[in-house]
Amino acid sequence: MSRFQKRKPMPKVDSFDFKDIETLQRFLSPQGKLHSRKRTGLNARQQRQLKHAVKHARFLALLPYENR
Amino acid sequence: MTDNTYTYQAMFLLDNQEVRQNGFNAVRDQVKATLEKHGLTPRVLRLWGERKLAYPIGQRRRAVYLLGWLEGGPEAVNQARKDFYLVGPVFRCLFLREEAIPEEELAYGIEEVDESSLVIPEDVDEAPPAEAAAEAEAAAETESKPTGGEDAAEATEETAAAAVSEDGEAEQASEAVAASQEDKE
Repeated sequence: MSRFQKRKPMPKVDSFDFKDIETLQRFLSPQGKLHSRKRTGLNARQQRQLKHAVKHARFLALLPYENR
Repeated sequence: MTDNTYTYQAMFLLDNQEVRQNGFNAVRDQVKATLEKHGLTPRVLRLWGERKLAYPIGQRRRAVYLLGWLEGGPEAVNQARKDFYLVGPVFRCLFLREEAIPEEELAYGIEEVDESSLVIPEDVDEAPPAEAAAEAEAAAETESKPTGGEDAAEATEETAAAAVSEDGEAEQASEAVAASQEDKE
């Protein structure tokens, strides 16, 4: 048996919308930090879109800046 | 002029207190009037939802979200943003330039909302956990103080009684000594 628990695969998303909070939360850590490209499996453009969407959602208080 | 016109998606956070007092439709008309004052053309203005904020903004913990799609120039957007932050029910807004307005959004248009269907719960003024803990400690201290006072009063009474009893014993002892001396004499 593997020593490490297998992670859930990231959802396949073409474009990111700041209003789609449930999808955005899948790409965030429990602390509210954005996962790396290595973990999200997105290409550079998608990762950038995700970053902007998360930042817009945070500004509108749809997502927290940090979860303590 | 037409070259400088773009499509924008806008999201407005409306103050729950204002929406409760004036009604959603009146507040939406206020937002629409401000946009039109600066030369923007709102195509869609619809209620996106009433929800809890992820973090408190000022004293607000909940807000009504108004989603809009509009057309206009970037200068007008900047002026409108400044105007919203100066006065009115909007306490936060975001404008994003988009390619086009989606068909499903265009179907909404300037949406009229049935006021009775929009339920806005009261803002519950919850203290942050650290402050709540400090308040609980303070409350516990204030509760324990009167009981401590009672204990102290009881203790003083007990000591007084003991002192009285000791005095009584001392008196008895002195009387006994005096009696024995008289007997000797």
